[in-house]
Amino acid sequence: MVAALFVSVKMINDVTQKAKSAIDNTNDLVNLDKIRVEFLGKKGRLTVILKELGKLSKEERPKIGKAINQAKFIVQDLLCKRKNQLEAIELEKRLLNEKIDVSLPGRNVEIGGLHPVTITLKRIQSLFVKNGFKVETGPEIEDDFHNFSALNIPEHHPARTMHDTFYFDEGSVLRTHTSPVQIRTMKNQKPPVRIIAPGKVYRCDSDITHTPMFHQLEGLIIDKDVNFAQLKGLLIDFLRTYFEKQDLKVRFRPSYFPFTEPSAEADIECVICDGEGCRVCKKTGWLEVLGCGVVHPNVLNSVKIDSEKYTGLAFGMGIERLAMLRYGVNDLRLFFENDIRFLRQFK
Amino acid sequence: MASDLTTWLREWVNPKISDEALAERLTMAGLEVDSIVPVAPYFENVVVGYVMSCEKHPNADKLSLCQVNIGENNNLQIICGAVNIRANLKVIVAMVGAILPNGLKIKKAKIRGVESFGMICSEVELGIADDSNSISELDSDAPIGKNIRKYLDLDDNIIELNITPNRADCFSVLGVAREVSANYGLPFKMPNISVSAQGISSIKTNVSNTTACPKYLTRSILGIDNTVEIPKWMVDKLMRSGQVLHSPVVDIINYVLLELGQPMHAFDALKINGSIEVRNAKLGEKCELLNETIVTLQGDTLVISDDEKVLAIAGVIGSMLSSTQPNSIDILLESAFFNPISIAGIARNYGLHTESSLRFERGVDFAITEVAMERATQLIIEICGGRASDVSTCIDKVNLPELTPITITQDKIYKILGFELDSKWVEEKFIGLGFEICDKTDNSWTIIPPSFRFDIRISLDLIEELARLYGYDKLPVQKLMFDVNIDAMPEAQLDKYDISQFLVARGYQEVITYSFVSEKYHNLINANANKIVLSNPISADMSVMRSSLMSGLLQSVESNQRRGHSNARFFEIGLCFDGIEANKQLNKLAGIISGNRFNVQWASEAVPLDFFDAKADLESLFELTSTKFTFTTGEHPVLQKGQTAKIEFNAEQVGWIGALAPNVAKELSLPKCYLFEIELNAVLSGRVAKYKSFSQYQEVQRDIALMLNEAIPVAELINSIEALQQPDFVNVNLFDIYAGKNIEPGKKSVALNLTYQSLKATLNDDEVNSKVSEVLALMQKKFDAVQR
Repeated sequence: MVAALFVSVKMINDVTQKAKSAIDNTNDLVNLDKIRVEFLGKKGRLTVILKELGKLSKEERPKIGKAINQAKFIVQDLLCKRKNQLEAIELEKRLLNEKIDVSLPGRNVEIGGLHPVTITLKRIQSLFVKNGFKVETGPEIEDDFHNFSALNIPEHHPARTMHDTFYFDEGSVLRTHTSPVQIRTMKNQKPPVRIIAPGKVYRCDSDITHTPMFHQLEGLIIDKDVNFAQLKGLLIDFLRTYFEKQDLKVRFRPSYFPFTEPSAEADIECVICDGEGCRVCKKTGWLEVLGCGVVHPNVLNSVKIDSEKYTGLAFGMGIERLAMLRYGVNDLRLFFENDIRFLRQFK
Repeated sequence: MASDLTTWLREWVNPKISDEALAERLTMAGLEVDSIVPVAPYFENVVVGYVMSCEKHPNADKLSLCQVNIGENNNLQIICGAVNIRANLKVIVAMVGAILPNGLKIKKAKIRGVESFGMICSEVELGIADDSNSISELDSDAPIGKNIRKYLDLDDNIIELNITPNRADCFSVLGVAREVSANYGLPFKMPNISVSAQGISSIKTNVSNTTACPKYLTRSILGIDNTVEIPKWMVDKLMRSGQVLHSPVVDIINYVLLELGQPMHAFDALKINGSIEVRNAKLGEKCELLNETIVTLQGDTLVISDDEKVLAIAGVIGSMLSSTQPNSIDILLESAFFNPISIAGIARNYGLHTESSLRFERGVDFAITEVAMERATQLIIEICGGRASDVSTCIDKVNLPELTPITITQDKIYKILGFELDSKWVEEKFIGLGFEICDKTDNSWTIIPPSFRFDIRISLDLIEELARLYGYDKLPVQKLMFDVNIDAMPEAQLDKYDISQFLVARGYQEVITYSFVSEKYHNLINANANKIVLSNPISADMSVMRSSLMSGLLQSVESNQRRGHSNARFFEIGLCFDGIEANKQLNKLAGIISGNRFNVQWASEAVPLDFFDAKADLESLFELTSTKFTFTTGEHPVLQKGQTAKIEFNAEQVGWIGALAPNVAKELSLPKCYLFEIELNAVLSGRVAKYKSFSQYQEVQRDIALMLNEAIPVAELINSIEALQQPDFVNVNLFDIYAGKNIEPGKKSVALNLTYQSLKATLNDDEVNSKVSEVLALMQKKFDAVQR
């Protein structure tokens, strides 16, 4: 059987035309691929013609060959363009489908929070740690030596009764201040010493302005050439940084602590009324925020540090008070009621 | 706390500044002023008036029509409604134009048709008394027309001083005057004191404990009238200082106490039998005190006695029996110095706190004893009459406080304060403070402190004196300089803030609860834990030191639940107490969760929290550490049996996790809660990363399903597979667990995924199969687990 093949340019053009209309009329990618197979696949109509090329006469072969290649190119190009079109339409559809309300909240966004006392302690601690202070801690049940006698508070000292101490049968006490940590540190560490001691302290007192447990942060510097002027400088810097107010007025007043001499209390201009006078500062415009002084030689002697050679500087502050002033909390007792309506405000 | 009156103070030393400025100066000098309160509120145009005539108001029964003279020919017609208004009375008149403290403006008025030009006042209307239903009747010698503020000395302020324990010398007008004088460099003036003794001798006195009482003075005053009225100036001073009036002798003694700071005592001489003795109490001796309580005395208590009985607890309080009464005629005055150390704590032992004990405990000037005796005698004779005997004096000089010289150098001042003080200024201040300079060189001074300054013992005390007189605020401010040291900072060490921050990110709110709990909670949480009980708790609810943080967490959930917040995730880090020794006080970390996994939201259904939520939080936390913890079944008093695990590390128990036991939940009205608690130290060691190379070849996974006895913990399967330590073993993962339908009762099906990977090549089927077979064989042998 002689291949009754009759290939002409017109025929090729017809096929091309058919392909074009098929491509134009299809609306989905699967169909488009079928069209590709129909015309350009292994057994596709244009492919088949191409395979027959060998049977053509020498004269016809280049002409028809060129026409087929051209046709293939055209169809390929049409397919490609249509594919892009259809893909774009499909994508558009999908995007429409997958559209969400981005204003909806994310899943499970609840986080907890630190207690405001912790936030305050952490902040103060980092201010000092950045400047070369180490953090020391100690037990909360203390013996008489560390809480009192080593701190120059002998038995029957009036300061003892002022401390409203919690006692245990065995003669131990709940520490009334963080100062025993000073003693423990100095016993174990040779000067120079530069520490802060944050922690819980206890006084047997409970009313609107006192809770039987509260927090203090104590600082101690033992070195050869340190003085009261530097202590003032350090604490003024600290208070201004803590309250983030570079022109915060700070004043020092003489006071009395058995373990320091000279002793001072530092007041800041009232941060509630900017020193104008209000209920919080009892109309004085000043707020007492910390106590400090030069460590009494009796204290240094009690831990066998040569008080002629070394000078100690110490300071202590109440954390709840600083937290109250910074965050505007007006009731001390809130700190230990653990009401989440209070705690959540410090996230 | 001590009250001082500015007018009284100014009688002694009178700086030309306002009372407010004076108060400020005292605060800055270390005598902290707690408050400054005027004796009378502000008002003006109020004077002394004389009621010349008083008639009934023509149109009103209860009103009177008065003609009041307010000086010279100035007469006012005033209508008054007081019942005690009458002619020939000296009264307080608020003139037209006056504004009274209650805001009332006095104007010309017409009352029931008659004009009135002022108001006759009571002390209440002037704000100087709390209640009175009648107008004030002034003394008949009150000068007509005189400004009432001046006449009643109302331009006075009460200063409340917060006296620090070292400044007992400032518990008197004398002491504060001395301070003001030193601060302003002004002289201060003592009152004139003179007494003429009549050559009578006092009662015989013997001090048998001169250590406690180195100085004891007595004097009899005979034939007094203890019923007279004390003068107004004294009444005002006493009342404004917060004293209650008693009888003249006691009032005068109180006055001297406020004035000079010397606590004294007056006995009714007729009630003393024989001679006076100052001695220690005999054990069991009884005494009825002035406050009407009967005490049994302890042997360390110093007492004043006569031949028969105790007359007073020395320096604290007198006895009822020997006290002066309005009818007392002969009295015995005592002025003494008791050593602070002997008096300290005595008053408190008997539950007493008196003005006298407060001062003696902190130290009374031992040179003022005689002066006070003279002053009291003078005032008693002036006011009550009587004849004074000679003073009987017992002194043991050896036992008086020693005034040791103290040397201070300019170098030391510089070293402590960071700057140099002018030598001339230093000397001036020392002298101003009453310090005796007994020796000096170019740059040093040796001083002897005065007898009233018990707080001046070392050179630093002197530096503080100079610093406070210079003004703490004027002292220089310097920068603290340090050597730079790069301190150790172990990378693997976590701190508690790392842990806290982690838990916060997982939704936990930190709480801080009291370290003391009720006995009920202690017993509930762990009755076997060491019970450390406070001797003087605030309340029974706060009497035992916590052995666990669980009680605080349970209470926090309970209280928030009560306020309607049912979802809770709380944690706390704090010391728990297993003993009073330092090493028995351990930091623990505990958490509690309750309610739903998340607050109500659009994206997921409400799912109640369960054991594995708590465990997941804890296990994630453990991921921060390098430590391998194990969870094994355990029993805990507050945790639900069957939903409780011990947390162990190296076979040592470090914590607990579990559901709150239903019976405990019921007792505490709590919902379902899950709790965990672990020793903080156990989770503080993290790790320093160490790189290991990883395989380039594909990993191979195999799933196995095992049927085994329900009671066998899955962790044991996994642990034994891991313990096989097969070569190329990567991990084993539990991906399904099933019991129920199609599974034999008492059995469960466990599906595990095994992963293998070699560093050298991709493992082929045979290699993997043999490894899996080994696992299956182990499971069969050890757990009787068969492959499904």
